[in-house]
Parts: sequence; structure tokens; C-alpha cells
Amino acid sequence: MMIPFGHALAFAAALFILGLTCVLLRRQILMILIGVEIMLNAASLVFVAASAYWRQVDGQVFVILLMAITAAEVAVALAMVVYLWRRKRTLVADEFNGMHG
Amino acid sequence: MTTALFYILGIILLAATLMCITRRNPVHAVIYLVAGFFALALMFYLLGAPLVAAWEVIVYAGAIMVLFLFIIMMLGLAPQEVPEGPGWQRWLPLALLSASLMACTLLLILEDPAAGQKVGGFYLAPQALGEALFGRYAMAVEMVSFQLLFATIGAYLLGRPLPKGEDQ
Amino acid sequence: MNDSLLFLIPLLPLFCAVINLLFGMRLPRLFAEVMAVTGVAGAFALTLLFWGHAEGDGSRAVLFTWLNSGTVDISFALNFDRLAAPMTLMVTGVATLIHLYAVGYMHEDDDYARFFALLNLFVFAMLAIVLADNLLVLFLGWEGVGLCSYGLIGFWYRKLENAKAGTKAFLVTRVGDVFLGIALLWLFALTGTLSINAINAQAAAISPGVVIVLSLLLLLGACGKSAQVPLMTWLADAMAGPTPVSALIHAATMVTAGVYLLCRFFPLVSLSAVAMTAITAIGAVTAIYAATCAMAQREIKRVLAYSTMSQVGYMFMAVGAGTVAGAMFHLLTHAFFKALLFMAAGCVIHLAGDENDIFKMGGLARRGPVELFWAFLAGAVCLAGLPLTGGFFSKDGILLALFTHPDPLYRVFWLIGVVTALLTAFYTFRLVYLVFAGDYRGTGHPHALPLLMRWPLWPLALLGLAGGLFNLPVFVGGGEALHHWYGTMAGREVAASHDVEWMLIGLAAAIAAAGWLAAHWRYRGYRPPLENPVSRFLLSGWQADALVDRLFVRPFTSMARFCSAGCDRALLDGTLDGLARLVSSWGRMLVQLTTGRLTTYLSAFAWGFLVLLGWFLLKLVNGGGH
Repeated sequence: MMIPFGHALAFAAALFILGLTCVLLRRQILMILIGVEIMLNAASLVFVAASAYWRQVDGQVFVILLMAITAAEVAVALAMVVYLWRRKRTLVADEFNGMHG
Repeated sequence: MTTALFYILGIILLAATLMCITRRNPVHAVIYLVAGFFALALMFYLLGAPLVAAWEVIVYAGAIMVLFLFIIMMLGLAPQEVPEGPGWQRWLPLALLSASLMACTLLLILEDPAAGQKVGGFYLAPQALGEALFGRYAMAVEMVSFQLLFATIGAYLLGRPLPKGEDQ
Repeated sequence: MNDSLLFLIPLLPLFCAVINLLFGMRLPRLFAEVMAVTGVAGAFALTLLFWGHAEGDGSRAVLFTWLNSGTVDISFALNFDRLAAPMTLMVTGVATLIHLYAVGYMHEDDDYARFFALLNLFVFAMLAIVLADNLLVLFLGWEGVGLCSYGLIGFWYRKLENAKAGTKAFLVTRVGDVFLGIALLWLFALTGTLSINAINAQAAAISPGVVIVLSLLLLLGACGKSAQVPLMTWLADAMAGPTPVSALIHAATMVTAGVYLLCRFFPLVSLSAVAMTAITAIGAVTAIYAATCAMAQREIKRVLAYSTMSQVGYMFMAVGAGTVAGAMFHLLTHAFFKALLFMAAGCVIHLAGDENDIFKMGGLARRGPVELFWAFLAGAVCLAGLPLTGGFFSKDGILLALFTHPDPLYRVFWLIGVVTALLTAFYTFRLVYLVFAGDYRGTGHPHALPLLMRWPLWPLALLGLAGGLFNLPVFVGGGEALHHWYGTMAGREVAASHDVEWMLIGLAAAIAAAGWLAAHWRYRGYRPPLENPVSRFLLSGWQADALVDRLFVRPFTSMARFCSAGCDRALLDGTLDGLARLVSSWGRMLVQLTTGRLTTYLSAFAWGFLVLLGWFLLKLVNGGGH
């Protein structure tokens, strides 16, 4: 398989923007978190493509680390979702505006 | 043959993600995303990262996304429709913003001289990755493991039952 | 005796003042009083002991180096010379008597420690002026007497008008002090020294134009302290203070400090004919102005206050006419009889039950102790200039100096002096008749007169009546002792034929008698005060306060109001408030950005991302690639 490096990056960029769009447009906290996951995976794709481009191991190592950190992030984030749900019985992000000026 | 496969996988990935972010039902969204991540895992494999591809399936699709599903189930969100989406006045500018971001990014990527360079024909054996991970990057692995420990403790603290009166 | 012990003269009162200031209220009353009197009396005794040191060029004593910076080397030094010695003796002597009197006068007042501390401090400051070897010590004393005067005028500060009178005196004299300060600094800049003698020695080298300006500045400084036109408005109000204060500060010593200052700088001032004429003119104007005012006053102490201004005006005329000896002669006799008059007036007020208005007195010759009447009369004849009294000879000496001055303009001043003498005799006897003659018209209950308020009058009466002996003119058989004592410092030699002198002395006697007769005719039987515009005009001191108010206070107030309301509040505050409001409204606008909503923050984040990407794109387009 031989593809231009740019195409791999373009897929990653498209994936990232889709994740960003999800984060921006969706109002439910759970969907925002899913958007974040999509963006993280786009980053993983860039790492793996770069690893193949430079023929080095480091990119893939970073993907592994990224997954571990994502697991930690998701654990805390979902615990928070549960907590917020218990507080307000809703997951609409705009309802949690206690820090407004 | 594999080249074509890469593009097909890419298109599947994007399509599944698009479906994911437009679903109202979070369960559907997560299922679509898992499908997308399968495609992504195969793309990793094609880019010469078999171990990462395996873990993408195991950790991401298998663990993290299932965790999402658990939460959705636990909170009973699945049958519920999420609240009505905002009017176009709100989402149109944001959609345009996303579109311009996409255009900018693609422009920047394709203008780069490295974009034309070919990638492929690369295969990293899992052994080499493991040696790098527990050799040069051992310290990073340790730190990440601590990170996971802290996250576990944090999640435990957040998940305790609320004191009386704070529950709505 | 050692010259350096000269310091004990001013330091003794200062020491007692400090003790009284710090511990006075805890000491027994008798102790505080005795210490205050002893301090001043000790200074008097020391002055007598040191008298011999003043002969020749005098003695100089350096206590310590005050300032030493580069070429500036100023020591705290005293100069006890022929000019200073009689003044020192007068100040300490009169102050001793007045302190004794004050012990009696204040015996019902609880705040004796503050009173005696300020009085002693005043004596110290006055002695610092008199004995100053350099301008800095002189200025220290100059400001010191002003401070004590302020504190003592407003001594009964619970009454607002007293406190206001003190503030007024302080502020008006301060106007003069500013000019004096300018003069002192200028003199220092010109000569590089602050020593008074050195400055006088170098005076001839200063260019004539500068000498005129310097002399006028010194004159204005003297005017402030001596209540001369145009800085005269404070003295009449200063009578709000206790009577011993009026006697000591506002009659005998402090108000003559201006005269003394001009005498000190006589070698400098006399270089300029213009300045001398200005001094004489100011003296003449004040003399006649104050004399007319005194004719219409109703309060006994205000009459005396205006007469003080008038007499100090004579002293200025003497300095202007070039005779330092004449000025100092009048200064000394005036100090005696005016202190006497004030102290006697204090007794009168006591007897009249704290009544100040002379139209509510009368008959006090019979009501009070008869010796009080004689003491007051002794002061009055001195002030009126009846022949053979001290005031007669000293005033005559001044008129003679004016008459014999080569400049014909001085004849005008002489004429003013003669008219003033007539007015003086008139208002003095008006006072005597209204207070002592006829029947008692008041309602007050007399206070008892303590012994200490009575007998200090006698030495002063004696000194006032016999004061002429200090400087008795040659043609009546005298030796002009004071003139010879001053020697080279005495100023112009007043030379006139004996005929002229006899003519003038006869004229003076006739004028004094005429004034007495006029008062006798007008006030022998009691007549109520005139109520016409002229007397009201004179009563208000020619509306001087209103004039000052209109000329300075109101423009100043309106300027201050403009600065406050226009500049400060509208412009500065407005600008600052506007800026603050602007910033605050921006803040409120920015506050709206912090909605507390996650979506807002996320979209802001995305917009920022777009800007960042746009920037990279722009670089790409501009740079034409990498």
C-alpha cells in the first residue's frame, strides 16, 4: 500500500473537525465527551501516519500512551457525568452555568 | 488493492462518525462510533501498526466505548430523546465555523510539501513496540500508570453517594 | 563672666517652658508659677550681669553648629551687642513683671501650665530674635513668637471667635513672614553668609536696585509682625487673648520686633532713600489710621491695640527718618507705658466684672482702688505725651527727626505725626474719662483684685514716667544717654538749632494739652457713643476687614471654589470617574462573556482555533510556501 502522506493527514483532519463539530453543536455532556473521543482518535491517526512516514516507533508509542490517558480521562469524566446527573437530573451542558459572571 | 482499501476504510470512518454525531439517541451514537473505530483500527493496521490496531479495538471500542454505554444505561438515558436541538441561528454559524476550519486545515495539509510524499510498506513488529515502550519510554509508562491510579481514585470519590440534601 | 554663658538668657525661659509643657499639670500650681516667673526673672538678672559684655563690638557666643553643608556653615550663635542689650533688658524686665501679673490674673484658670509654658516659650523666641547672630536664629525666633502669639490669642479656644482671632493673627503675620523669608534667602544668596553683622558689612556692595527690593521685603516682613498697614488687621482682634498676653506680646515686645528688625538691618536699609521713605510713609499712614480708629473704639483693649499700632507707626517713622536711637527710645518707653496700660486695663476689666465696653464702665476711680486710677493715668499721660513723661520725650525726638530731615517730603510725615499726636491725646483722655469719671454705668459684679495684679504696675509706671531720662535731649539738660550708648549704631545725627527744638517741644506740649482739653470738653459728662456713618467706619477700622475680605479672601475663595468644583471635581474627578465608568462598563460587557456555559467557552475556543489557522494560512500565502 502506498498513499500520499497528505491523504492520511486529510482523513485525520476531517475526523478531527467532525469531533469538533460534535463538541460545538451538541448540548448534551455525553455527546460532547464522545466528540472529544473522536478528536483524540484523529490525533492517534496522525501519530500512526507520522510513524509510518518517518518509519519510527515513537509515534505508535505515543498512541499507546494516549489511549491510557484517554482511559483515565474517560473514567473521571464519566464519574462526573454521574455526579452531575445526580445533582440536576439533566445532562444539558447549558444547565450547569453556576460559574457565570 | 490495499491502497483502495485504505480510502474505503477512511470513507467508512468518516461516514460512521458523521452518523454518530448526528444521532439523537446516545446509544446509537456510540454504536456508530464503535463501527468507525473498527475502520480506524484497520487503517492503523494498513499504516503498519498492528499492535495499535489491536488495542484500538480492545481498549477504545471494547472498553472505553462500552464504558459510555454502561453510563448511558445506568442513567437510563437510552430511551430518552435528548432535548430538542437548538435553532439554526445557533448551529448555522457553528457549522460554518466547522466548515471553514475544515477548509483551512485541508488547505494547510495539502499545501505542505511533505503531503505529496508516499507512506506505506512499513510494518512495526509488536516486539519492537514493546521494547520501545518498556525501554526508552518506561518512565512515561510509569507516569501514565500513576495517572490511571489517580483517575481511579478520583472516579471513586466522585461516584460516592451524595450527602443528603444535595440530591435533587 | 564667660561669653558662652550668654546662652542662659534665652535658654532659661525655654527650659522652664519645656518643664511646664511636659510636667506642668502634674506639678503643684505654685511650683509651675514660681518656675515660670523665676525663669524670666533669671534671664533678666543674667542680662544685667552680662551688661558689660555688650559694650564695644558686643560679645558673640556659639552654642553649636546648626547646619554644615559645603560652604554653608551656620551655627546657633547669639550676639549680645549695644543694640540687643537694652532690648533684651526691656524684654526680660517687662516680661518678669507681666509674668507676676499673670500669676494673679490667671489664678482662677485651670490651664495655668499651658499658659505659662507658652508665655515662657514666647520669651525664649523673642530673645532669639533680639539676640540672633544670624538670620536662621532670627527666623526661628520670628516664627516662634508667631506661634506663641497664635497659641495665646486663642488660649480660651473653646470660644470660636478667640480661636478665629488666633488663626487670623497667625495667617496675616504669615503673609509678612513670607516676604521676610524671601528677603533672608535672597540676602544669603547675595552675600553667601547668614550672619547679620557680615551682611550689614557687605551691604554697600549690593547693587542699589536690589537694596531697594530687599529693604521693601524686610519692611513687609516687619509690617506683618508689627501690625502696620497693610498687614494691620490682626492686632485689634488679637485682644481676644488674656490681658497679660496683650500686654506682653501685643504691646510691649512682639509687635515691636518689626522695628527691631529694621534697626538690625539699618546699615542695609539706610542705603536706599526710597526704602527709607517707604518705611516712613507706612509708619505715618499706620499712625494716623490707627489713631482715627482708636477714637471710635468701644472696647478698652481695642483702643489700646489701635494705639499700639499707632505708636509702632511712630517707631517706623523714626527708622525711616534715620534715627535708630529715636526708634529704640520710643520702643522702650512705649513698652513700659503700654504694658502698664494693658495691665491696668486688665484690672479695670476685672473690676467691671469682665465688661470690655468702656461705655458700660465709668466711675471706676471711686469704685476701685485709687492706686489703679493713678497707675492708669500714669500710662495715659505717657501715651498722650504730656510734657516731661517718657512718651513725651521719645515722641518729640521722632518728630524732631522728621522735621529736620533734609527731604521736604518728610515735613508731610511730620505733619501727620503732629496730627496723630493730637488724636492720641484725645482718645487717651477719652478712655480715661469714660472709664474713671462719672458714675458707674455697667451691671457687672467686680472681681477682687489680687495683690499680684496691683503692684507690678508701679515699676512700670515709674519707668514710663521717668523713661525720658534714658535719652534726655541735650537742650533740656540731658545727656542723650541712649544715643551715646548706641554710638555708631544710632543712625543719623539729628541736629537742629535750639530754637527749633524749643518750638517743637512747645508745639508737642500744646498739642497734648489740646487733646486733653478736647476730651475733657467732650467726655467730662457722660455722653452715649455717636451713631453715625463716620464713627461706624472708624469703629470697623476703616472697613479694613471687609476690604481684605473683598480683595483677597473672596477672590481666593472663589478661586478655590473654581479649583475645587471646576478643576478638581468637574475636570479631574469627571475624567477619572468617566474613565472608571468606561472601564467598569467594559468590565460589565466582559462579564457577559463569562456565561458559565460550557458551550460558549468551547465555541470561543473554536473561534480562536480558526484565527490561529487563518494566521498560518496567511503566512503560507504571503511566504509563497515554506
